[in-house]
Amino acid sequence: MSMIRAELEQQTAHMKRKSIHKSRWKLFRNNYDLYLLLIPGLIFLLLFKYAPMYGIIIAFQDFNIFDGFIGSKWVGLGQFAKLIHSDEFYQVFNNTLLISFYKIILLFPVPIIIALFLNEVRRAVFKKTIQTIIFLPHFLSWVIISGLFMNILSPSGGLVNHVIEWLGGTPISFFLDNHFFRSVVVFTAGWKESGWNAIIFIAAIAGIEQEQYEAASIDGAGRIRQMINITLPGILPTIILIFILRLGYLLEAGTEQILTMYNSVVYSSGDVIGTFVYRQGLGQQDYSFSTAVGLFNSVVGLILIVSGNELSKKLIKRSIW
Amino acid sequence: MHKKTIRDRSLDLLIYLFLLLVGVITLLPIANVLSKAVSDESAVISGKVGILPVGFQLQTMKYVISSSQFITSIGISMLVMIVGTVLAIALTALTAYPLSKRNLPGISFIMLLFIFTMLFNGGIIPNYLLMKELHLINSLWSLILPALISVFNMLVIKSYYESLPESLEESAKIDGASNFTILFRIVIPLSGPVLATIALFYAVYYWNDYFNPMLYINDAGLKPLQLYLRDIVMDADSSSAMNKSADDMMNVSPEGVRSATVIASIIPMLLVYPYLQKHFVKGVLIGSVKG
Repeated sequence: MSMIRAELEQQTAHMKRKSIHKSRWKLFRNNYDLYLLLIPGLIFLLLFKYAPMYGIIIAFQDFNIFDGFIGSKWVGLGQFAKLIHSDEFYQVFNNTLLISFYKIILLFPVPIIIALFLNEVRRAVFKKTIQTIIFLPHFLSWVIISGLFMNILSPSGGLVNHVIEWLGGTPISFFLDNHFFRSVVVFTAGWKESGWNAIIFIAAIAGIEQEQYEAASIDGAGRIRQMINITLPGILPTIILIFILRLGYLLEAGTEQILTMYNSVVYSSGDVIGTFVYRQGLGQQDYSFSTAVGLFNSVVGLILIVSGNELSKKLIKRSIW
Repeated sequence: MHKKTIRDRSLDLLIYLFLLLVGVITLLPIANVLSKAVSDESAVISGKVGILPVGFQLQTMKYVISSSQFITSIGISMLVMIVGTVLAIALTALTAYPLSKRNLPGISFIMLLFIFTMLFNGGIIPNYLLMKELHLINSLWSLILPALISVFNMLVIKSYYESLPESLEESAKIDGASNFTILFRIVIPLSGPVLATIALFYAVYYWNDYFNPMLYINDAGLKPLQLYLRDIVMDADSSSAMNKSADDMMNVSPEGVRSATVIASIIPMLLVYPYLQKHFVKGVLIGSVKG
């Protein structure tokens, strides 16, 4: 009996598989037009996203433009050996980590504070005005923002240096001084995105149930207590998720930003991996070496973001994908 | 009870002051450049201009806006923005539709191919070499094509499609409608707001992009606004803005010209900002809730 049953089960399983197979083929055939619709997008993906990934092979070559991708000499991990032995790379790596850490430590809490405080504002006009103002810099390009800050921080007649002089100090060339350049980079990054980044926390706060506040105020909890005991824990999962995401971009210290702000005087404090790749690659035409540096950067970034996602799944049961 | 109201009041004061300070810090650099752009040149040079204009004039603004390179650059930026946005929103909206049908065979794999590009990319140099191979250096297509699909934007549209009630599509299918008819007659018309929002995302991206132009464009006649502005901002003596005849330069200073150019570049953004803000906030919320 049991043998017959086993045989039967096997048969039905086989048939099921066959029918699934058949229905999958049928699904494909009935919706062939949807697959046609994918073709332009796939061409885009292959040409502009995956073809450059193929181009990464030059990181393992001594590439020159005349011999091309196939004819250039293979050097294995030679470019990476050069990278490890390059003092300049250490400098750049160090700058990248420092700027990134400063940005995370100093700037990550700002949008949360802004969101918490905006939530306490009862005057609708004030709230709306402040929001409109602080979202604005997000829409300005880095070039414009550099222009704005080079002006206000200028050592000759800039507003900030006027105040410094008025207080009895000597003017500071913020963009030409290795003691100050990183601060300028961190501050302007905060200026551009702090307001905008608050949106996600504002949305999270809006999702907290109102009953919790009502119950707390019946219990006699003041607004500070409510903020700390209800609002903050309510948005904690969002904070953790955004923080983990942020850590994934540790090695991206703001390439596009710094490219509009730096100059050779402040390379020792402001040159980061992205700007270094740009200069070595397109300035010095050292394609293979700069691709190797870029690859190092991308691989570390990939590892960081994938492990961050796993961590977030474990900690708060939420994931980015 | 009385004690608490005092504490609440001082909390209120702290909150209002903090937010006010954030607002002022945000506006200060813009106000300062704006007043320099419209102040008397001698006041600008002697560093007397704070947040209010000294000796109001529009000469410098006129000088900047009428510069032929400025006009060319604005035109290039407009062209790239319009063509780019139209193509990008069309391609993104169309690609997102099949990807929203997760039960179709192979779709989840293709989705994975898209997602992977968010996590890993070839990097600057391979991208540059690709453009070179495609002969797109010094072509405006090099600014438009690489940004046609932002996977993030596509995910937002995809999850919006998925949120539409299934019964709509099913009843259309029973009536014999093809997938294309459903997409163009039902799904896209219902997705108006989200598509408008994403189109704005693309428009702002194209308008503000200076990185791709910096890599791929070196022909002065093809420089978009951001690149032109970068030359002026990074170039301390601002010589590229000062190629007009000497009597034109009589009453403009490099600093004034620089400020006026920054302001002239901000103005288009400021004009559409109220509209942008409304839609962008909505777009971010759709992305964050469902993404």
